[in-house]
Amino acid sequence: MKVIEIKDLYKIYTETEVQVKAVNGISLDFEEGEFTAVVGPSGCGKTTFLNMVGGLDSPTSGTIKIDGSDISTLSSRELIDFRLHNIGFVFQAYNLIPVLTAKENAEFIMQLQKKSKAEREARIAELFTAIGIEGKEDIRPNRLSGGQQQRVAVARALASKPKFILADEPTANLDSKATSDLLDIMRKLNEHENITFIFATHDQRVIDRAKRVVTLEDGKVLSDISK
Amino acid sequence: MDYTTLKIAWRNIWRHKLRSSIIILAVTIGLFGGLAAAGIMKGMVFDMVKNTIETQVSDIQIHNENFLLNNEIEFLIDDSDNKLTEISKNQNVKAVSQRTKTYGMAATASTGTGVMINGIDPEKEQLVTNIYSKFTDSLSTYFTSGKKNRIIISSKLADKLNVKIKSKIIITFQDFEGNLTGASFKVTGIFKTQNAMFDEQNVFVRKTDLDRLLVMPKNTSHEIAILLNKNIDAKTQAAEIQKIVPTYKIEAWEDIDPYLKLTSSLTSYMLIIFMSIIMIALGFAIVNTMLMVILERTKELGMIMAIGMNRFKVFKMIMYETTMLALVGGVVGIVISAIFTWYFGDVGIDISSVSEGFEQLGYSSVMHPVLEMSDYIQVVILVMITGVIASIFPTIRALKMKPAEAVRD
Repeated sequence: MKVIEIKDLYKIYTETEVQVKAVNGISLDFEEGEFTAVVGPSGCGKTTFLNMVGGLDSPTSGTIKIDGSDISTLSSRELIDFRLHNIGFVFQAYNLIPVLTAKENAEFIMQLQKKSKAEREARIAELFTAIGIEGKEDIRPNRLSGGQQQRVAVARALASKPKFILADEPTANLDSKATSDLLDIMRKLNEHENITFIFATHDQRVIDRAKRVVTLEDGKVLSDISK
Repeated sequence: MDYTTLKIAWRNIWRHKLRSSIIILAVTIGLFGGLAAAGIMKGMVFDMVKNTIETQVSDIQIHNENFLLNNEIEFLIDDSDNKLTEISKNQNVKAVSQRTKTYGMAATASTGTGVMINGIDPEKEQLVTNIYSKFTDSLSTYFTSGKKNRIIISSKLADKLNVKIKSKIIITFQDFEGNLTGASFKVTGIFKTQNAMFDEQNVFVRKTDLDRLLVMPKNTSHEIAILLNKNIDAKTQAAEIQKIVPTYKIEAWEDIDPYLKLTSSLTSYMLIIFMSIIMIALGFAIVNTMLMVILERTKELGMIMAIGMNRFKVFKMIMYETTMLALVGGVVGIVISAIFTWYFGDVGIDISSVSEGFEQLGYSSVMHPVLEMSDYIQVVILVMITGVIASIFPTIRALKMKPAEAVRD
């Protein structure tokens, strides 16, 4: 089942005299349960592409349909609400709210969605077991390792069972062991929860684990390989 | 109630303990300064009102309306004894007394001066006013000897006339029949109140002596003074008592001394004006701090907005943080002010070195600060309003952020 349908997507910046086509006519579809890496050199448009898919940036032209809904026509207020209920994010850094504990961070989106306490407790317990940080629920991010923080970020992204998760260079600040552990967890959750994961990455370890690799160059799709 | 946003806002205050502590300290000091000053001012006015009522005007006075216009002694209150009895039956009346009043001259061999001669019933009078407790000379007595023609004067007048206890003063005045008359009075008491002008102008003799000398009709007086029980509104009681004396002019202290009432009312506004000025100044400091906070948390705010926190919630989060920051300082400032007021309200702040000038204006040389619950509530509301207003500009800056740009590393 198609989760994301992208057709003729463009993002053109005209702030300077020279026109910059950050995304230059991308058409892609993503199915439910995919584990896809979007790769390419710096400046190829990965982050811009991911931002548009996530509703953080608006396209110059083209359509982005998520579960049949065209998000390119939504207002900024509607986009915030759409992101809250449909999309999970894992960023490269500054993922967690420093003044909340690991558990409070993980359930943050569910609280924004006004889910009941019972529902939140059950879901977080399940996820914390899956990501392997039981016993660290009441610890603040500054006392967790980088890898543990990203695991909590993954738990938060998954907590509300979004339609898909966008991860922009999630392993960039992690050592090899932490990266490996994180990717194993994400792959396991991808299979267990059947939630689509889309990565923007340079990291070969991510590419190796991906089921599909989309390569971008100069804002266009250079290749799209399913393993 | 959005507890998560409140929780984040509260914890964010303590992320930078030093910076937050400085702002909290600034608010505390500002509020304490304003409240202490307002409390002292309010206490001074409260004291002045209390002293004026207890020493001079009482809560309510009754006169013949024509007497108030020109102080001619023929304008009397008739059947004054019965009126006193009727008024005393009112459960809100603590004490009531009557006076004969006339202008006259007080003179000694060295000099003379015009005075208001108050003929009082000492037994009743000392329940209504407290002149008897203001003696400065240890030999003073309050008409206890029972002898005729005794007079109580102020220390200011005693100095002016160059007299002391047991000295004689000649009092001259016009009697009820229009004849110029007078008598020699022996000084039996020397007093001093907080009102130098009152002291200089008033002397006290027994009503029986003055009535005899003035050839006054029996059972009459010029003034009935009423002291009410504590916390009873004078104006309301005046309206009640008017029913007993329908043909006479009855006035509450606010009407007798409008300056006193005006001064009392103004102190309430002074607190608001003081505190508003202080909070405006502190508000700028809070805005500055919160702008720094927003700048430091650009990525964090971008991330929060990216994952789905809407703009209204972001506004609430920043507003809660700003308001709570101000409130913490506000509460500490209020607590310190309350302790200051409680302690010095009891002990007093002695300003005797400048008291002579104060006493000319009717103020005491020992200040007792006063603050009421309504004052604290007003200040809390003011602090919250400052917090909300101070959060507007930082929030606008925060909401202008684009999440995609903000989270970029």
